[in-house]
Amino acid sequence: MLGWVFFLLCLPPVLAVQLCESDAPGAYKVRLSIRTALGDKAYDWNEHEKFLFRATMAYAMRLHKQQEFGVSNIIVCRESPRVSFWFVVTSPLNSSALVDKGDVERAVSKSRHRINSAFLLSDSSLEFVGIYPTLVAPVAPDTPPWLIVFGVVIGLVGAGIVFLLVSTMMEKRRKKKEKAGEHEEERVKTVENGSMTDGVYNTTFSDDERFTEM
Amino acid sequence: MEKDVRDNWENPTQFILACVSYAVGLGNVWRFPYLCQMHGGGGFLIPYFLMLLLEGVPLFYMELAIGQKMRLGSIGAWTAISPYLGGLGLASVVASLYLCLYYNIINAWSFWYLFHSFQSTLPWSVCPINSNRTGPIEECERATPTQYFFYRETLNISSSIEENGSIHTGQALCLLLAWGITYLFIVRGVKSTGKVVYFTATFPYVVLFIYLIRGMTLHGAVNGVIYMFTPKMEELAKPTTWINAATQIFFSLGLGFGSLIAFSSYNQYHNNFERQAIIVSLINSGTSIFAAIVTFAIYGFKATVNYENCLERTRTLLLNAFSLSEDSINMDNVFEWIEKLNTTYPEQFAELYGKLETCDLEQELNTAVEGTGLAFIVYSEAITNMPLSQLWSVLYFIMLLLLGMGSMLGNVTAIITPLRDFKVVSRISSELFNGIVCLVCFLLGLGFTTTSGNYWFSIFNDYGATFSLLFIVLIEIITVSYYYGIKRFEKDIEDMLGHRPNWYWKIMWAGVSPLLLIALFLFYIVSYIQGGTPTYQAWNEDLGKSEQAEYPLFGQAFIGLLLVSSVSCVPLTALYVFIQKRKQAHQHKQQHSVSTVAA
Repeated sequence: MLGWVFFLLCLPPVLAVQLCESDAPGAYKVRLSIRTALGDKAYDWNEHEKFLFRATMAYAMRLHKQQEFGVSNIIVCRESPRVSFWFVVTSPLNSSALVDKGDVERAVSKSRHRINSAFLLSDSSLEFVGIYPTLVAPVAPDTPPWLIVFGVVIGLVGAGIVFLLVSTMMEKRRKKKEKAGEHEEERVKTVENGSMTDGVYNTTFSDDERFTEM
Repeated sequence: MEKDVRDNWENPTQFILACVSYAVGLGNVWRFPYLCQMHGGGGFLIPYFLMLLLEGVPLFYMELAIGQKMRLGSIGAWTAISPYLGGLGLASVVASLYLCLYYNIINAWSFWYLFHSFQSTLPWSVCPINSNRTGPIEECERATPTQYFFYRETLNISSSIEENGSIHTGQALCLLLAWGITYLFIVRGVKSTGKVVYFTATFPYVVLFIYLIRGMTLHGAVNGVIYMFTPKMEELAKPTTWINAATQIFFSLGLGFGSLIAFSSYNQYHNNFERQAIIVSLINSGTSIFAAIVTFAIYGFKATVNYENCLERTRTLLLNAFSLSEDSINMDNVFEWIEKLNTTYPEQFAELYGKLETCDLEQELNTAVEGTGLAFIVYSEAITNMPLSQLWSVLYFIMLLLLGMGSMLGNVTAIITPLRDFKVVSRISSELFNGIVCLVCFLLGLGFTTTSGNYWFSIFNDYGATFSLLFIVLIEIITVSYYYGIKRFEKDIEDMLGHRPNWYWKIMWAGVSPLLLIALFLFYIVSYIQGGTPTYQAWNEDLGKSEQAEYPLFGQAFIGLLLVSSVSCVPLTALYVFIQKRKQAHQHKQQHSVSTVAA
């Protein structure tokens, strides 16, 4: 009687181990790089962490398949000091049937971020071998940022060119006015001088003045 | 009554800074460190300085003397020495035109990279994700993110020179900006150029100094500097070392383009250009060495980072393959573990054979790159590994821009000054003429922004101004020494400076420099003939790396056209003048005979 009881007690784990093989249809390998990711703050991998993994995986399966998965449905085996192991997921309805690869993959992909956060790791330090993380879509701004800086710089350059050209033109105009003004002044001067000394406008006298200018 | 008041530099400092700004350019940063590394590190300085003394400073002195004496651009100056030699100036203008066309593209690339540095992650540090969001773009994975950014996003390069495509709008905009800034700097001639060079000549040194401090404090930088400066004296026995030293001095000083003649033509007649020539040449060489130290520090850093990444990848591979605990292998004992695992698990180890890389620090240090590859790929990769990479990226590309724009000032002045000496052109206002030159060069330069543009750029870079310059300067020095005469030249210099040049200069001008130039010239011709069909590096999209390809027939024809077009100016102009003189003499004879008959 006792023998039978022992046999029945030992059966599920044995069966579980038999289900969890690397060549099983729904098996996935998990690899954690805790020390590389966390350095000094790294935690040891022990039974409690393993339990957390199984609980998180059960959560992920629940979310995806909307079925009542429990910790006992996640079977972990072939652990290594790397910290890597294989796991399989059994269906809650039939503990000897395995959930197929596709379902497990989709469940993991959906809750990847939650699983990573439970272990304080990231997509690269908590690897599911065979399940590729969906990469974050790149943020595409409406105006590429380089165009903004370019616009500012070319605006400044354009303003500089316009300023220089306008100031050159105004200088030229000013010089022209000055030259015209000088000529007028000198002509007026000679006429005035002539009228003051003679009272009558003597053209010969003013002609002489013009020659001495040169 | 003064006929034509020529523009002048406001003070001699502006002239020195303009020459420094022109001579210190991108070549000091991306060509000299490469040569130094390839030809025996610190030992290369011996041929370099020797060539500076024998060839660099004397030729520099000569060009400044010509410009200051004749007070005309290159065409006018050489025509004044002999009417048959006007073609020499014209050849300089043609070479400068080719240089202007392709040089501003480099500035456009620098602008592109500068504007793209204002982002939280530098776009050349990570591969962009493909459309399915399953992983990085394939081309980027096969190459590196920096190469992908340069060849695909910056250039959108085609796979060979024969395939052409549309203009890259971003590049075209950056080229427009580059020409806009060039116009802004030269719009009023030396009045505006003189003020700009205060900034373009000095600020690159500030950045280089900052980079020196940053570079030397990087992990592994000192290894790089020590390794690359350790002299390997056996390299001095090879003739290519000496030839490369001579060509580097020659091109680095910017001789033969007519820029130096143009700059010095705006000097006061009694300006002491002898001292200035020595100062500028020494500054130029000093900057090359300074830039080499910075580059080697960056190389050392990059090589160490690559080496350590390689070790890390090997470590991860071993840990994953043999499921060992993470503590067991660290960076120091990777190689011991490889040995151990090879002996204990030979079959498993054999499976890894294809994936296992050999990590060799010396091999990393020995990779030497020059040119645009160094500036835009290697340096930008090193910058992504530095903390605060956006800041370093902005500083670095601003420095490249200042170096490039400073050289452009000289290049454009070399075209404008001789053309403005012609009466037809001097009637147009200088602003309008400068604008026309910049606009024409911009429109022609748009050809370099097409998908095959980088291949055309390489043609111009390798053949546009190398051979023709040697020819031009050789004719220059022979003209001055033997046709014009050393004695007359001496007197002119005494007139300007107040003392005669001493025996050292005379020996260099009359003997050593022409012989050196003839040797270089012959070497170029021989290597052209021996080299066979010229080849270029074509980017292979599928493999993610560059491959050597031969130029097609039209490419080779174009190379020939480039070489011939500037060199042939000299004989053609001489022929033209000769024919004109014969015609005039003939007409004169006829008139004379008519008048005697009349009398």
